[in-house]
Amino acid sequence: MASSRSGKLLAVIGDEDTCTGFLLGGIGELNKHRHPNFMVVEKDTPTNEIEEQLKKFLNRQDIAIILISQSIADVVRHVIDAHVEPIPTILEIPSKDAPYDPSKDSILRRAKGMFSAEDFR
Amino acid sequence: MTSHERIDIFPSRMNLTIMKTRLKGAHKGHSLLKKKADALKIRFHSILKKIIEAKQEMGEVMKEASFSLAETKFSGGDFSPVVLQNVSKAQMKVRSKKENVAGVKLPVFEVYEDGTDSYELTGLARGGEQLNRLKKNYAKAVKLLVELASLQTAFVTLDEAIKITNRRVNAIEHVIIPRIERTISYIVTELDEGEREEFFRLKKIQQKKEVMRNKQDKIRRKWQEEQEKENLPVNQTPNLLADDEDEDLLF
Amino acid sequence: MGSFDLSEIFYNVDSGYLEGLIRGFKNGILRQEDYRHLTQCDTLEDLKLHLQGTDYGNFLANEPSPLTVSVIDDKLREKLVAEFEYIRNHSYKELGVFLDFIKYSYMIDNIILLITGTLHQRQLSELLTKCHPLGTFDQMETVTIATNTADLYNAILVDSPLAPFFKECISEEDLNEMNIEIIRNTLYKAYLEAFYDWCKEKGGATADVMCEILAFEADRRSIIITINSFGTELTKEDRAKLYPRRGKLYPDGLIELARADDYETVKRIAEYYADYRPLFDGTGNGPGDKTLEDKFFEHEVTLNVNSFMQQFQYGVFYSYVKLKEQECRNVIWIAECIAQRHRAKIESYIPIM
Repeated sequence: MASSRSGKLLAVIGDEDTCTGFLLGGIGELNKHRHPNFMVVEKDTPTNEIEEQLKKFLNRQDIAIILISQSIADVVRHVIDAHVEPIPTILEIPSKDAPYDPSKDSILRRAKGMFSAEDFR
Repeated sequence: MTSHERIDIFPSRMNLTIMKTRLKGAHKGHSLLKKKADALKIRFHSILKKIIEAKQEMGEVMKEASFSLAETKFSGGDFSPVVLQNVSKAQMKVRSKKENVAGVKLPVFEVYEDGTDSYELTGLARGGEQLNRLKKNYAKAVKLLVELASLQTAFVTLDEAIKITNRRVNAIEHVIIPRIERTISYIVTELDEGEREEFFRLKKIQQKKEVMRNKQDKIRRKWQEEQEKENLPVNQTPNLLADDEDEDLLF
Repeated sequence: MGSFDLSEIFYNVDSGYLEGLIRGFKNGILRQEDYRHLTQCDTLEDLKLHLQGTDYGNFLANEPSPLTVSVIDDKLREKLVAEFEYIRNHSYKELGVFLDFIKYSYMIDNIILLITGTLHQRQLSELLTKCHPLGTFDQMETVTIATNTADLYNAILVDSPLAPFFKECISEEDLNEMNIEIIRNTLYKAYLEAFYDWCKEKGGATADVMCEILAFEADRRSIIITINSFGTELTKEDRAKLYPRRGKLYPDGLIELARADDYETVKRIAEYYADYRPLFDGTGNGPGDKTLEDKFFEHEVTLNVNSFMQQFQYGVFYSYVKLKEQECRNVIWIAECIAQRHRAKIESYIPIM
């Protein structure tokens, strides 16, 4: 497998604080084209920019996991829903002022019916 | 019985044996796939449970992490822009391995650290202590998230695998096995038919032979009588090579 | 002592209005009861409402809901910048120089940000918005045009007010090779020493007040840098180069600090100094314990509040900015605690008496 040959990256799409935190966690990288593997979304960042960046991340071979703040994931939900391949996997994370809502999670929605909402509490 | 509902095959005894083997194989395959589907389902449910647990834990860990960010900002000022600019090589990377569950390869991510911390001296003069805690918290979050990502990919892969397996189980059960069964019964019918024809034909030959034997008997008796009249020995063996009057038997 | 008296006579002519103004501003600093109200808020909207009752007034009135912490942060900063710029624009001669010294510390951070961006070949134009507004200077745009470190170095030397500090301690090669944090702290050390010397030369009450505060700042940096350098790639020699040589620890304490290997040693060194000994007592990492940095912040606040006890000196301007900065951090801290529903530590802001 090509994937096991070399290490892959995590990518982040989130607000400034989320990105800062994960970069300090040590996941940040600029590739040789000087493209970062993170995207800071401000409150006035247009939706299509987020969409494009997410699609770019999805198409990059060196990214295995994409972390995205759930509040931002809501904006580009259709892109996430359309993504069916297991790798790269999209992971929705809570943003600091919005607690995590499992009922919105694209992955967990697939499991709807197998578990009741009480299991998430 | 139309031909597309069974396998197009010459109804011979050999093909019947082949078909019977195939039927056996299909049954075996069916039960194996069924077992596989069950195994996958058990795994699937345990993963789902783990995902829900991990997502809950993620809520906690992320909360702690982002709070420590606030703490660091309180003592260290706003360092985000520098951190966002000072990116070079990732320290945390993931490797993917494959785990085999009932023949389905599940990708498993594994975090490993590579290279140095490019923010080692950030916050040197202010907030370094909090920053270290912040880094630890986020590193912990990364580890947990990677684990969660493994579970999630496993979830998606298994979901797909279970669907495929179920489809196969159903196909074997409802299409392949009936078709083979129909083929077998077709071959059996055809063979029976052939057998009956054969039987009839044998009977017919026997009949014909009976008639011929009677005729010969009659000739022989007549010939014996003639011999007795001419006073010849009764049991004189005729010359085998001189069977000119032997008629050819043709069917 | 003649010149000393003279300077006090002319102080009011040159800066009396501004001092009055700054003392007025200082009265608007949030009090204990304001903090009590703020910590009781359940949402950021509540917080906004309570802030409207203080000197901040309607500063958040035009912000659309939902209110976020970063918006509050921006607005708080905006207000401080507006006040400072007003004072700076009306200041005369020496006070202007003094106020510029205050700005330099922000400029260092901005320059460091620009250098980091250049080294990683990022789009510099977008960085300008991230720079602290107090640290902007007229030719900042020209600095951002630089595409490589050599250009950048020259641009900083030619165009930025930080040139003297730069020339003194950073060479062009350093820009490429040195860790950015080392550059930052080297610059800051040079800046602190220059500021201290300027105040000392100014003499009078300004020197009395400012030298005390700046000496504390210098010592605090030395101590914190030492503690934070344990377990990092920073060598002892490099570490010693970052100590500002103006504080009370200079020279003996710094020599000792340069040799320190662990926290206990630092603590033992600090215990020789009556000012710092109490700061180390009762610190800890447990919940409810104050960290050493918190203690330092408290001490800084005390010094800055005391600076208002004396008249006819520039220290009040410096102290006001520092107090206001601490206040912004306090408000943001409380706002973060509210936004993240993490109330357990909401009380650990640094009160300003």
